[in-house]
Amino acid sequence: MNITRSAAAIGAAVALAGATAAIAGCGSSTPSSGASGVPAKLIVWRMGSPVASQETWMKGVVSQFHKKFPQFKNTKVVVDWIPWGNRTQDWTNALTSGKGGPDITELGNTDTPGWASQGALANVTSDVRAWSDGSQLIPGNLANDTLNGVTYAVPWFGGVRGIWYNKDQFAKAGITAAPTTWAELVSDAKALMKAYPGTYGLGAPSDYTNAIVSFIWGAGGQVAVQQGGKWVAQLNTPASEAGIKFYADLLLKYHVSPSKYIGETELGTVGATSGGSDEDFALGKLDMYIDGPWAESSLEAVSKKNMAQWASFPIPSEHGPNPAPAFAGGSDLGIWAKSPYKTADWDLITVMDSPSNATTFANSQGFFPEFTSKLSSGVYTSSPILSGFAKAAGYTQISPLNSKNWATADATDNIIPDMMKALMQGANFTATVNKANTELQNVLNTGSET
Amino acid sequence: MADTISGHAVAQAGRALGPGRAGRKSPLTWTGEFVRRHRLAPYLLLTPALAGIALVLLWPLLQVALYSFQNYGLGQVTGVLPTQWVGLSNFTATFKDPEFWLSLRNTVLFAVVAVPATLIVGTVVGLLLNRLGRKMAFFVSTSAILAWATPPVAGSVLFYWLFNPDGGLVDWTLSKMPHWLVGSTNWAGYNWTTNGALQAYTVIAVLVVWQSFPFIGVAVLAGLKTIPAELYEAARVDGASPWRVFWRITFPLMKPIFLVLFLLSVIWDFNMFTQAYLITGELGNQNEYNLPLYIYDKAFTFPPSYGLGGALALIFAVILLVVTAGYVRTSVRQGALT
Repeated sequence: MNITRSAAAIGAAVALAGATAAIAGCGSSTPSSGASGVPAKLIVWRMGSPVASQETWMKGVVSQFHKKFPQFKNTKVVVDWIPWGNRTQDWTNALTSGKGGPDITELGNTDTPGWASQGALANVTSDVRAWSDGSQLIPGNLANDTLNGVTYAVPWFGGVRGIWYNKDQFAKAGITAAPTTWAELVSDAKALMKAYPGTYGLGAPSDYTNAIVSFIWGAGGQVAVQQGGKWVAQLNTPASEAGIKFYADLLLKYHVSPSKYIGETELGTVGATSGGSDEDFALGKLDMYIDGPWAESSLEAVSKKNMAQWASFPIPSEHGPNPAPAFAGGSDLGIWAKSPYKTADWDLITVMDSPSNATTFANSQGFFPEFTSKLSSGVYTSSPILSGFAKAAGYTQISPLNSKNWATADATDNIIPDMMKALMQGANFTATVNKANTELQNVLNTGSET
Repeated sequence: MADTISGHAVAQAGRALGPGRAGRKSPLTWTGEFVRRHRLAPYLLLTPALAGIALVLLWPLLQVALYSFQNYGLGQVTGVLPTQWVGLSNFTATFKDPEFWLSLRNTVLFAVVAVPATLIVGTVVGLLLNRLGRKMAFFVSTSAILAWATPPVAGSVLFYWLFNPDGGLVDWTLSKMPHWLVGSTNWAGYNWTTNGALQAYTVIAVLVVWQSFPFIGVAVLAGLKTIPAELYEAARVDGASPWRVFWRITFPLMKPIFLVLFLLSVIWDFNMFTQAYLITGELGNQNEYNLPLYIYDKAFTFPPSYGLGGALALIFAVILLVVTAGYVRTSVRQGALT
């Protein structure tokens, strides 16, 4: 009797908990009247793992915040570090339960449109308009955070991918200048493999959309374009096909990339903690490696043996001389829709993202600030690692990677990674690209492949 | 038997609690008699448990069924998008998706290989354990139980490293072997896990068989202990071969056990998620999805679609029912389950 009674009690309790969670989940997302109240603490979600230099930087930001906004001088700012791989789950949990969410969150710039459309972010249009530093933001990047005329976040820092190499290896292989065409890229990769037997020339993982798009754009192609309010996928235009074919041929025809990268991201198998093209480059088993300047700290963590020789150049376009457009990556800052303290949230954002704070922050970790005035300064051209990326930063594109349904196309349906993987495994080129093209167009327009 | 006893007990309890005066039927006594006459006691005793199950299992199940006819997703949870009834479109979208059929194929082919392999290895080990001496039986069963007790995550990580292209033991061993034995593939750096469904499921099948045969072995051993030794003695006197003894005595007598083990294995292998998720790179390779991975991807990858996920869960449940129901039905007819 005791057992059944407690079982029924547990059942009732579980059901009650479920019901309350469901009710909480259905709660309104509009801010309460306390939007301008003084919070005891503000929770900021940062992506990645804590780094000492960034924590010092944040301390400085908080003391500026307390000085500049004395009404919040007793407000504690708590930074929670969310590993990049967990962000979707953590945002979803916070949204569906209505509890445990942040007040301010960092977002990858491709995340912002999707999450804004799901009601996760607060409308900051009027705040941005009234913000004096806001006018200096790179306009294209602010547009990325704007959906149907409503702004949901502000750009914080940016980054582009380029190609990492070793200066001493280039010298030994007789390469005097960084390649600026695909033909040079392949011949240099082969020269490096000849000079360093047992290594591979240039890593081409198949699950690497953000690099593959540079080759599509570098041949003059497009992933998809908007025509009359609808997305038209363009993967099977001759120019796009040339880019896709070249990337697959790095493995299939030129043999400068190993077959073990099939199905892998640039960091190896998803979820694995080691064994990818990043590690191979740091260990000297891969001669050229595609990634952004942010990779430096993780490459160093693998091996510091070659780090004095590391340098970068932009991803070449098919025929040169200008680089291929690079995907304009980066992070934004947004206000969580359920945060009750939106005034304080916005005030803290203006300090975190002031031109000087944002620049110090970006520089400390190999990114670029999002302010036009700061980007044109000479500090970036003098560093061997940053100079290549700084050059690439002058040629960027983001569409359609910022479209509302891109997360479905790339993360749920893996359209470009699946296509590249099939091609690298020897599937029929035309049929595979056409299939991906149809799926992409469907997803971009309707959110569903079929 | 059981119900008469408990009915009696309830009636007696009613009498003990009631006013207990002769000649007058208290409501409690009346209830006790009603319960006894209609043999309701077992159902009454089951009610609290059933209510609990209904709350924690049936209610969510109903909820899933409702979602499967809606466009329910994150925007509907937050309230920025309206929840709409979409009829059967979650189901038709699924049946039109080639990746659904690919996942179904991977799931079925995996079960076709892994279920018999698990049952055969497990049965052989069970038969072996039955004949081994005490010390050896202890050693073998301990080793097997350790494989069984290894958490699926730990087992998957272990196999991921064994088959890793960067210095994994399997690739290293194969690369040291002569070409005439293992073919001329470049084994050092061979990618087992993300380069195709066949390679990945080869690894997963070995892993799953390794982790699930001990249960079969132990269950078969327990079954063997119930078979009277006289039957085997008689067979030995008649000079029957071990093969014949197994098919004529062991198998027919243990058919109900084998049936249960078969059904459990089918259900487990259809539901296999952890190993596939970890070995194939956490949803990174769509051509290596099985149905559980496909459902997880559609339901929970951003932007989540709980409606589509609900439809998939129902489809998956029906598939499992179909796969197992046919076998159960024929077996019940043969009398194996009675």
